[in-house]
Amino acid sequence: MASSINPLSWLTASRARARALPLFTRAAVAGIVVFWIVGVQKALWDVRAWGALVPDEVGLTSLYRLNTFPFIHLNFFHAVMNILALTPLLERFETEYGTLTALALFFGPFATLPAFIYLFIEKFLLRGNTAVMGASIWVFLLLGIEAMKAYRANPSFKVGPYSIPTWTSPIGILLAMAALVPSSSFLGHLSGLVVGYLCGLGVLKFLAPPEKALRFVEGKLNLMGRLPHYISVDQKKYGRFGVLPSSSSPASAGISMGRGYSSLPAAAWELDGRWPMADGKQTCLTSDQTRLGPLNSGLLRLRRDPRILKVPPYLSLLCILVGVIWLFLLPLDDYSRRTYISENALLPGQVHTYFGGSDQNVFRAYKHETSALAGKTNIEINDGLETIIKGLGLKVSRQNFTYRSAGREYSGENLYAILQAPRGDATEAIVLVGAWENVKGEVNRNGIPLVLTLARYFKRWSLWSKDIIFLVTPDSITGPQAWVDAYHDAHDSARVSSLPLKSGALQGAIAIDYPQEERFESVHVVYDGVNGQLPNLDLINSVVSIAGGQMGMGVSIQEMWQHDDRYPDRLRTMLRGMLKQGLGLASGPHSSFIPYHVDAVTLQPYGVGWQDEMAMGRVIEGTFRSLNNLLEHLHQSFFFYLLMQRERFVSIGTYLPSAMLIAANFTIMAIFLWHQSQIGPPPNTPAVERQLFLPLGLVSLLQSLSVIPLSLFHHAPESALPPLFALFALINLALPPALSALLTARYRPSAQQYHLLQSFSLLLLGMFLSSLATLNFSLALLVGLLACPLSFVRPSRTAAGRVTCYLLLSAVAPTAVAVWVWGLGGWGRR
Amino acid sequence: MDGGKVTLGRTAGLYAGAAVLRLALFTLFPGLPELLTGRVEISTPVTSFKRLQEGLFLYNHNVSPYDGGVYHQAPLFLPLFSLLPSFASWPIFTYLLYIAVDLLGAAALGKIADSGEAGSSALFQSPRREKRWSGFVIAAVFLFNPFTIATCIGRSTSVFTTCAILHAIAKAVSGAPFSAMVALSFGAYLSMYPLLLLPPLLLLCYDRQRPERAMPSGLRFAATNVCVVVSVLGVLFPMSYLITGSWEFLPATYGVQLTLSDLTPNIGLWWYFFIEMFDSFRSFFLAVFWLHLSCYVGGLTIRIRRQPLVVLTLLLGIFAIFKPYPSISDSSLFLALVPLYRHVFPLMRYTFVIAAIIIYTTFLGPAFYHLWIYAGSGNANFFYAITLVWGLGQSLLVCDLTFAVLRDEWEVERPEMVGKEIRQI
Repeated sequence: MASSINPLSWLTASRARARALPLFTRAAVAGIVVFWIVGVQKALWDVRAWGALVPDEVGLTSLYRLNTFPFIHLNFFHAVMNILALTPLLERFETEYGTLTALALFFGPFATLPAFIYLFIEKFLLRGNTAVMGASIWVFLLLGIEAMKAYRANPSFKVGPYSIPTWTSPIGILLAMAALVPSSSFLGHLSGLVVGYLCGLGVLKFLAPPEKALRFVEGKLNLMGRLPHYISVDQKKYGRFGVLPSSSSPASAGISMGRGYSSLPAAAWELDGRWPMADGKQTCLTSDQTRLGPLNSGLLRLRRDPRILKVPPYLSLLCILVGVIWLFLLPLDDYSRRTYISENALLPGQVHTYFGGSDQNVFRAYKHETSALAGKTNIEINDGLETIIKGLGLKVSRQNFTYRSAGREYSGENLYAILQAPRGDATEAIVLVGAWENVKGEVNRNGIPLVLTLARYFKRWSLWSKDIIFLVTPDSITGPQAWVDAYHDAHDSARVSSLPLKSGALQGAIAIDYPQEERFESVHVVYDGVNGQLPNLDLINSVVSIAGGQMGMGVSIQEMWQHDDRYPDRLRTMLRGMLKQGLGLASGPHSSFIPYHVDAVTLQPYGVGWQDEMAMGRVIEGTFRSLNNLLEHLHQSFFFYLLMQRERFVSIGTYLPSAMLIAANFTIMAIFLWHQSQIGPPPNTPAVERQLFLPLGLVSLLQSLSVIPLSLFHHAPESALPPLFALFALINLALPPALSALLTARYRPSAQQYHLLQSFSLLLLGMFLSSLATLNFSLALLVGLLACPLSFVRPSRTAAGRVTCYLLLSAVAPTAVAVWVWGLGGWGRR
Repeated sequence: MDGGKVTLGRTAGLYAGAAVLRLALFTLFPGLPELLTGRVEISTPVTSFKRLQEGLFLYNHNVSPYDGGVYHQAPLFLPLFSLLPSFASWPIFTYLLYIAVDLLGAAALGKIADSGEAGSSALFQSPRREKRWSGFVIAAVFLFNPFTIATCIGRSTSVFTTCAILHAIAKAVSGAPFSAMVALSFGAYLSMYPLLLLPPLLLLCYDRQRPERAMPSGLRFAATNVCVVVSVLGVLFPMSYLITGSWEFLPATYGVQLTLSDLTPNIGLWWYFFIEMFDSFRSFFLAVFWLHLSCYVGGLTIRIRRQPLVVLTLLLGIFAIFKPYPSISDSSLFLALVPLYRHVFPLMRYTFVIAAIIIYTTFLGPAFYHLWIYAGSGNANFFYAITLVWGLGQSLLVCDLTFAVLRDEWEVERPEMVGKEIRQI
């Protein structure tokens, strides 16, 4: 019970008390310390053997043991624990009775009496010979005295309906000690406690030296003057409690209490020096405000300060500003990092690549063959390719698929071949994808021959430890999707046929998108997945390191054909990446792989330079050699990152705060508005019961209405999408005024209900955005930025204010922004 | 919210509405039950419907259902579900069973609420007790709680335990100790942990005895009722033995809960801890965790002796946080009982924060689980962090409710302190 004092105030109190410890307490502590130091060695003088209370050793000549044993301890922890427990108790005793009395008692009866009791029980009743030592016997003795004192002042405390007498509390401590502390002497403690109880009852009063004699000694020797920290026996003249205030006002207590009780919550420590153990439920559970210590009341005063209620709007504005500024700081050198290869097994660019030489002729031959196939149907093309690949000695298979999406049907046939690893066991595979047409609809003129040439070339090497799958798809989106779905058995077998031939778990995929006829200058790495998912950064780093470092060609990302690695270009790259991530579209054949946890990129050669197809082949060869080295799935590097140059990135830990701050602004405002709703219009009328029903119902109704456009957009045919979008944009415009007219006319909501309405909406918005930020950072940030004004909207009194507010809000609503962008883009194209 | 007369028609409408909603979810979205059954938030190893089907298959093919280590539920489920027409061809009967169990639970909850026990028990009358919600509202809150609906659609077998506990309390409140003890024994038989509710439930029964056959001696009363529990369990266990033909079910059901041998992730705090732990410490920490879970029973029962229903509520909240295999079903049971304390809501201090935390974690939990399991871009720490926050939200609610109830009691003792700000130290 006593331990429930505020820990902070206890700390300050203990500091103050150390300064004012009375003399005998100091001496006792010093004695314990000295004996411990002496006891560190055993060779010269074994203190413990000399001074412990060993029942068989105690004879007439060794009676000193009865007095020395409390000073001697087993080890360091024993000594420290006992000092900590003893000091406050002994100090209380000494300040009450004086130094001389304490000296006389503790060197006399308080050491010997428990010792005699212990000896009697241990030696004559139990016939044992257990040695005891340590000051804990005094601790229990003093606890016994204090408990009796507390019992007289406050007979019981209450736990539930039961009242428990206060004098029993040391017994609880005794039992707990016996149970928890190993090798503690229950009997020794008990004998100390018994003496303490007797003393507290006043039975042992006759043991105390007569006060007159003590006063005489004190006066004669002038102990008061000579000894520092001496406490007089004379209660009336120099009384220990003379300086204590009798009132319980905290201000006076704080100033005049010299003994270090000043910063304790007054309720916990009764001011008249009573032990707080006993003052019942009120102390343990609560202490009312008027009696708090200065520190706590300061905090409370701050909490009550009306000015603090003005802070949240500014705080939330600050969150938005910091979030946006943070975003714009990211491209700086101090906030972004250089990329590095985290998975050491990859070793990119560490091997010689041998693709070239006569492979050039093979490539030309295949190119001739494939260009003859251009313009034919999917099946004819696949027939032609199948003959070629079969000729290489690879297993070939085909897959039919038909998708129906947004009212259109996508069908085709994939062709793929598996090169079984000479050094592997078909448990892992890497994929090389060549789509017959890229996302723009251009025929992959060089890409398909390159895939065929590489297949022939890879077949010759014996170093592959993973199967290699060559996949040729009719287009860049649906074909790879159908194939990956079927590979992982996640397909609808009515529309997409299953794969007759399979290999192991896919470890990575590289797609070639090479429609360009002439020689190229650089490689463009496309890495955006569906719904904003990204491949492991190590894969991109490997490609960059092989193409840029080993082969010496340029590498670019996010269609930044020119990049000077300065702030504006970095920012532009990052924003383009974010926009793509936010829109979540598939950007190439690789996009379908990423949801299945297969890291994939598309490589697009571009520009006019002197790099030929063989160089591109070498880049792919190097990348495949790196992937071939992998011992486990790519997991080391980052999955969440923003690239701002091919060798510079920020990781999630650095960029996420900006989206989270923007989401947090809504939560802050929600909490603020919730608090506002409690306070009625006149000041100081809190605890108004909130009318939750209307706001809760309205917000949940509106939120659940969002299911309708979601499912409509999901299932409508493609041609119906623009009118449907226009319809919902109009509804979006019309719904707020209609709803507010209905609401005011029908329900006449109070100001509180408006507050709650906004509070709940913002709370949900903040929650959705922070959940979304973990999945698709960019989308969350974009929506969050557009929704920012919602934090600061307040009911307006004038009609003009309402109209302006409405117009402004509708202008930046996400649907309206989509219309703006679409419209501007349309004009731009015209 | 409590305005308007609660007529029989309105109540019937409520139950019909809840049943129709569930039936619609079952039938209109055929993928939904399967989806929810697979969610770790709903199905734990000891309540999963999928595992029940596995056990049922083995049982119907005369193999011990506990072979294979998948099925960890009570043996009596097996004959119950075998009696129903096969789930594969007639799922509707299973659906109807689950809906009926939910409605029965709600009916019991309504009875508890209408008894007014929450506001005025035998030993304590709250000055605020006038402000309360009727059984109709409280049953509605339970029936339309998304957690309850999700549990029902996910067909977790914990709905049976929930129903048993609610009936035990309802019977205790209406002065039928024998039925209460029988219901509690069924709960304990199904999931073991309800046995810890025995002490407060005994007190509740004792306080609400009917005067015409009251047993004044507390000790005799307790002994009689403990005997009832023991004898009911003494019938259920041999029955289980007869059904499965061996005592294997004891280690497979209760043993799994006691030793946490299945470490499938769930929303609780145990699985991650025991995955990370070295085997040599396992038994020690198992003991510590169980001791921790059960140590609240004694303390709360003594401290809030005057309001045993509060103890039951708080304990259910604590179990929902610290059980070995908790799910949102346990939270829904706790959240069903919380509205009974409408009268102390004004004394609670963190309602908004608690609601915000619970809603946030409800959305972030699945998102992080997705990142961990499906996207592969997160790891187990993501999900565990959210389960910690979920536990924090619930423990805040438990603490805040405790505070409000104690404050309510305290204001009766110290009328001069009503409305003044106090501080917990």
